[in-house]
Amino acid sequence: MSNKSKILIIDDDPDISEAMKVVLESKQYQVATAKTGEQGLKKVKQEKPDLVILDVMMETQGKGFDVARAIKGDEDTKDTPILMLTAVKEKTGLDFKKEAGDDAWLPVDAYLDKPLKPEELISKVGLLLGKS
Amino acid sequence: MESLNSREGLFERIHWLIKLRWIAVTGVFLSVFIAVNVLKIPVPDIPLYAIALILGIYNLTSLVYVNRSRANFPALANRIANTQIAIDLFILASLVHFSGGIENPFIFYFIFHMIIASILLSRRASFLQATFAVILFSMMVALEYLGILPHYCLVGFVSSDLHNNAIHISGIAFVFVSTLYIAVYMATSISRRLREREASLKEANALLKQKDRIKSEYVLRVTHDIKEHLAAIQSCIEPVTGGIVGSLNEKQMNLLQRADERAGKLMFFVKALLEVTSIKLSKEIRMGHFDFSDMLKDAIHTIARKAGNKNIFLSSTVEPGIQKIRGAREYIQELISNLLANSVKYTPRNGKVDIDVIDKGNSILIQIKDTGIGIPGEELSKVFDEFYRASNAREIEKDGTGLGLSIAKQVVARHNGKIWVESVQGKGTTFFIMLPK
Repeated sequence: MSNKSKILIIDDDPDISEAMKVVLESKQYQVATAKTGEQGLKKVKQEKPDLVILDVMMETQGKGFDVARAIKGDEDTKDTPILMLTAVKEKTGLDFKKEAGDDAWLPVDAYLDKPLKPEELISKVGLLLGKS
Repeated sequence: MESLNSREGLFERIHWLIKLRWIAVTGVFLSVFIAVNVLKIPVPDIPLYAIALILGIYNLTSLVYVNRSRANFPALANRIANTQIAIDLFILASLVHFSGGIENPFIFYFIFHMIIASILLSRRASFLQATFAVILFSMMVALEYLGILPHYCLVGFVSSDLHNNAIHISGIAFVFVSTLYIAVYMATSISRRLREREASLKEANALLKQKDRIKSEYVLRVTHDIKEHLAAIQSCIEPVTGGIVGSLNEKQMNLLQRADERAGKLMFFVKALLEVTSIKLSKEIRMGHFDFSDMLKDAIHTIARKAGNKNIFLSSTVEPGIQKIRGAREYIQELISNLLANSVKYTPRNGKVDIDVIDKGNSILIQIKDTGIGIPGEELSKVFDEFYRASNAREIEKDGTGLGLSIAKQVVARHNGKIWVESVQGKGTTFFIMLPK
């Protein structure tokens, strides 16, 4: 695992983004952030991150889902692992754990519930980067 | 007004009519038998038995027909009820004719038909049925009086010339006709009032439900906002307390850890509140078939360590008839592990928690029995209320959301099941959950 890996955080909550950035930078990852889905998609193409951390962004009708589909639908970026941040169950009643494997519905590689424990974030990120 | 009658309600009432008719069939057989064999009244028993038999066959046919046409209720219900009451009136008139005509005191049984009609039918239809009864009755009396139909005297019961006595006939007929119409008038007035009351209650209930929904939506929105901010607070504090951004002195660390702990407790509460509210609001939860024992194993697994720490003995039995059941596995598993966690929390060291799952044919009964502190009797009815915590539970653990059991109640309700509790303070508590398979 290279700790020079590049991680892109797409989250509309600047405080959570910043906190995650601090945690990840402490492990020598290079971290970029984006505040909207559009900005995020642009940065995915430009900067070719090794991992995308994507908030579900329920406030904008689950914009995160569209972003995940767009990343996985693009030839250039389809292999980039996505870690999704969500608390979907409480809002939709969906069983998120089962859906995570269902590519057609939600093409993400892992998910984490907010708030994130720093150690959880680090281990999940390490796992995903080791896998790819 | 009729539109308010639900399909099931009408179906039930027609079944009630059929049930009454079985009583009538039995009654006719018995009264004919007693009249002929005990009272020695020379009524023509063969036609009477024959009519009773026809009534029985007709009732059986109605039963089959009503069950078959269930799908077409309530459109058909009025027609079925009208036709059946008319046939009943005709059969009663025939019975009365063969057993003395106007001499027979059973003529007043026509009132029962009027009351039944008033309950099942509209006021107009009830008065039409009353008129039909009056026509049948008058025709029978007139035809017997004119000698066109034979008259069967109730010898030994009344004097034998009454059916030829015009004054007697007119008197009886007047009382009979007025009784029928007054009965219909009274019964329809009462049932109209009942129907109006039912309608206004339904309306009030719908309004309450709507208000409750608005309240829940409000709670959901507010709670969700709180959670967003809380998540940000925790996300910012934890890297600091975790030493990721450098080390703090002891006092700084202590205060920050306190803040983090309180944020954590608030988060736990907010999540529970979100859960109970969103289950309430969700139109449906996704159901599937799952292996019950498998799920139970997972549920027990989540609390096995806590039970072990307190040396609490956990045992479970599942009757062999229980394999796959229909439901939302995640919710049921959470329900059971929450109840188990409660049992473990409120059971002293070295206690016992038993889970027994009993096959009840179309449903299963889950019993979770502990040897814990129990719930005070006067508080039993409140434990499923939102935010309610039993007084002795509050003593044992200060923090608690008071939402666990109300989430449980919602989940069970969503599965069309039932949950209830029995408890003896100081001895233990048993939770019962009945779930359809």
